[in-house]
Amino acid sequence: MTPSPEGRPEETDMELIDRWKAGDSRAATRLVGRHSQALARFAASAGERDGIEELVQDTFIRAFASLDSFRGASTLRTWLFTIERRLMLDRRRAERRTRETVPVQEADHVSEYGALDSLIAEEAQERVRKSLDALSPTQREVFTLRVQQGLSYKEIAEVVGSTEGAARVHYHNAIQTVKEFLRDE
Amino acid sequence: MNKCTVSDIQELLPDLLHGALAGAERVRVEAHVATCESCQEDLDVLRTVKSAAVFAPSIDVDRVVRQIAPYRAIVPAVEAPARTRVASWLVAATVALFVVGGGSVLMTRQNSPGTQVVDGGVKAPQQTASTPPLVPSKLPAATPDSKITETITSPHPHALALAAEADGLSDRGLVQLMNDMDTFDALPGSEPDPVISVDSGDSL
Repeated sequence: MTPSPEGRPEETDMELIDRWKAGDSRAATRLVGRHSQALARFAASAGERDGIEELVQDTFIRAFASLDSFRGASTLRTWLFTIERRLMLDRRRAERRTRETVPVQEADHVSEYGALDSLIAEEAQERVRKSLDALSPTQREVFTLRVQQGLSYKEIAEVVGSTEGAARVHYHNAIQTVKEFLRDE
Repeated sequence: MNKCTVSDIQELLPDLLHGALAGAERVRVEAHVATCESCQEDLDVLRTVKSAAVFAPSIDVDRVVRQIAPYRAIVPAVEAPARTRVASWLVAATVALFVVGGGSVLMTRQNSPGTQVVDGGVKAPQQTASTPPLVPSKLPAATPDSKITETITSPHPHALALAAEADGLSDRGLVQLMNDMDTFDALPGSEPDPVISVDSGDSL
């Protein structure tokens, strides 16, 4: 238990979950506040542009509805990432069905990014985003979870449904690609 | 720039960035990065990527929380206790036993040589030579009793039909037989006719 800014010991996720189960709605507010921005960043880094807030909301709705199945084997944030990733995959499948005549390629995410380029003011951010666009979806997930979220390879493997070894390989290939992209810019 | 060959250090750079390393491991990684240009470049890239990840929209926490349904504990389906299931099986087995047993008794009675069909299916037992007498042949010696003698001098034929040797009984033997009949276990299902009438005997 780490101290909060107010000096009080910060409750762990499991303690907040128990409090919420006991009927304390403030515990849910604490949990959502603690993890929502990380989920939003992960969604954005993974290529989501539209409806990120709805995606995060759906993630929490699903997570709270099935909290009994969360045993604490991983961290709550890792578990939330797993749920969010599945929702993103569902979204992409749904988008593919609505665009039956146009096969979806990895480059589709690049075009989605490009549509919103004008919204990005910071040049460094734009460069990074483009470098991430050069990655495969799995490489991008692994790289952002590792670099932006600080997850371990084991946790990343849980989120993306892979192995630790595969996560290491994806990270290694991703950083080489990003480094070359930024060097060439 | 030479590419770094210390792969485990490269893999730990994100942990160094997030302050997730401690103790000797952190010292080891920092010492390596201080002398490795490739790892310094990697660390700069990681810092850029990490700091650039700010384009995610801000999430309205209260709005999200309002959409979350209150907690409902998952109640496991109530399973019937084993005792109830065993009792059900016992009842079923008992019923089956009665059905099979009853059927066997009926078939045995139909096939028994000592029975014959009387009046459309009603069967009456027939005394055979091997059938032991219903009344013991030896009974205590009779003693004179005028009242009893009066009532049993003309015995009811139904009562005597119970035993072939009843004709040879003395008065005391008949009294003993009547007393013994009170203790018979195999009572008829319906009220039987009176064995011995105490009136004049016209109603018989």
